Amino acid sequence: MLKRDSTFKVIMLLPLVFLTGYFLILVGSQSAFFSLDNFLEQLGQQDIRSAITLSLIAATASTVIAIILAIPTAYALARIEFPGKRLLDTFIDLPMVLTPIALGTLILMSWNSAIGRLFSDIGLTLPFTLAGVILAQFTVIVAISVRMLKASFEQVDRRQEQVARLLGCTAFSSFLQITLPLAKRGILAAIILTWARAIGEFGATVMVAGTAKGQTATLPSSIYLAMSMADLPRAVTLVVILISISLLVLFGVRMVTESKK
Amino acid sequence: MIQVDQLTAERGDFFLGPIDLDLKEGSYLTILGPSGSGKTLLLETCMGLLEPRSGKIHLDGKEVTNLAPEKREISYLPQDLALFPHLDVRANILFGAKQRKLDDKLSLSRLSDLIDLLDLHSIIDRHDVTTLSGGEKQRVALARALLPGPRLLFLDEPFSALDATIKRQLQVKLRQINRELGVTILHVTHDQEEAFMLGEQIAVMIDGQLRQIGTRDDIYYRPQSLDVARFLRNQNIYEMDLTNIDQDGFLQLENGITLKAPACQGVQVGDRIAAVIRAEEVVIIRPNKPIGPELQDNLFHGTLKDILAFGGTHTLTVRIANSGVNIDVELPNCAMRDFGFNIGDKLQICLRQRSLWTIKMDTVEREENDVAI
Repeated sequence: MLKRDSTFKVIMLLPLVFLTGYFLILVGSQSAFFSLDNFLEQLGQQDIRSAITLSLIAATASTVIAIILAIPTAYALARIEFPGKRLLDTFIDLPMVLTPIALGTLILMSWNSAIGRLFSDIGLTLPFTLAGVILAQFTVIVAISVRMLKASFEQVDRRQEQVARLLGCTAFSSFLQITLPLAKRGILAAIILTWARAIGEFGATVMVAGTAKGQTATLPSSIYLAMSMADLPRAVTLVVILISISLLVLFGVRMVTESKK
Repeated sequence: MIQVDQLTAERGDFFLGPIDLDLKEGSYLTILGPSGSGKTLLLETCMGLLEPRSGKIHLDGKEVTNLAPEKREISYLPQDLALFPHLDVRANILFGAKQRKLDDKLSLSRLSDLIDLLDLHSIIDRHDVTTLSGGEKQRVALARALLPGPRLLFLDEPFSALDATIKRQLQVKLRQINRELGVTILHVTHDQEEAFMLGEQIAVMIDGQLRQIGTRDDIYYRPQSLDVARFLRNQNIYEMDLTNIDQDGFLQLENGITLKAPACQGVQVGDRIAAVIRAEEVVIIRPNKPIGPELQDNLFHGTLKDILAFGGTHTLTVRIANSGVNIDVELPNCAMRDFGFNIGDKLQICLRQRSLWTIKMDTVEREENDVAI
């Protein structure tokens, strides 16, 4: 198999071997601090169970909100011509290039503005609340959702939407019956990847909602807390949980994209 | 049926129009033009997929210029067919019936008729439309367009990707659909054979404008401008000076050779005139045979300079004696075998008056022609 173009193939395969080895070292070196007994004991602790639950709830909620807003936004950017489109398209990308710490700072500062105070007055506060965690994750992931969904909508043949219109569909009905089903796999991939990004989010979440145990400590912030207290077995247990969830997500993406072929 | 008045549209830096068009109920109009001439843009504007810059569109006397596409009840078969890959064959065909909320009984009855008409029996239960062959996809897309029972069908280069045999079968079906179902058809194509075979009327579109609309013979033998003549592959186009107009109205033209040709409107002595004759209309005079009365004028001796063989015809290039003028002559294979011509042979040809066509050249065409020469 390697005989033809063997030099070229070896050059291309070597980095793959290097990367696989590197990741195996990263994961394997945790085994010194990992035991099944300890893992099960840590899983039984209330604050870890709470961190897992909070991470799952917040990541799911922020993903749902992000996707609901990202679908029409991405469609508009992919299909509708309007003045200032290029500017808005670039502006929407801003959270992708800003570090999450900076995003968290922006959210906190905006909560001190008139609009932020309005929300505070009606009882919507961010520090040490689930709302803070969700808003931080949403802010980080929404741009990624828009970018992925826009690419999916652009891949749908415009001609199919036009034919549907001429066969009697309204613009909305054509969107529901043609565009969404044809972009389905792209939308699923976007949901999975943004959810994965949300569950691993740390910087903005810590800035906005803090890391109160049992309240706003997510899996990533719990790992940070455990490491800062030199509680290595606990940190490794949390990492293993996060790795397990991430692998499940990555396999999900692989299944979705491969069934596309 | 559909009337288009002074319609203009634009996409990027391409401008369409102004277009005037009047398509009667039950007719079949083909719009013939080179790629990029604006044919698809015209269809899209008429269907409401693109907003016109100006002008009006009427359907059955009612203005529909700003009406949504789904309310115009025009069916559309695009070049790439645009079958819905997430639906099976049956659901693709019935899609329009569902959207237009047609009665189930009526939909199924029409589906059954279309299965017979378009020979869909072997593919109607297929689940994956992407596995159909090109011809099968074409028939499914045509059935989908016809099932809602449209009175007006727009076709955009529908057969461009098919092989010749399947293309011919579907072209015959289209004529049947037009004649038997009474569907009015507007069909755009760059394929001249297809346009002439299917269109009762043919419109030639060049650079976003309809340059000529007429019957097959009007377009084929009597192009109204040089660009139409060139697009229709008239190989014999000669720019000549008008030196005299006979009492019976014939023009005497000179430029290396002297021609007697039928008149065109609004010409006077001194004008530049393009004389056009189709290669298959040039007559080769058989040696030692009497020459008929209609072949007495425009007789020339020449030498055979080149022979190009095509499937069923040969094109001969004849250099007229004592001039730099070349004339292409098209002969069917059987005639070519009879004559047994070889390069260098001497022969006599006649450019019959009734086969010649003259076009008065305007300044722009002359400049373009000068540049081309």
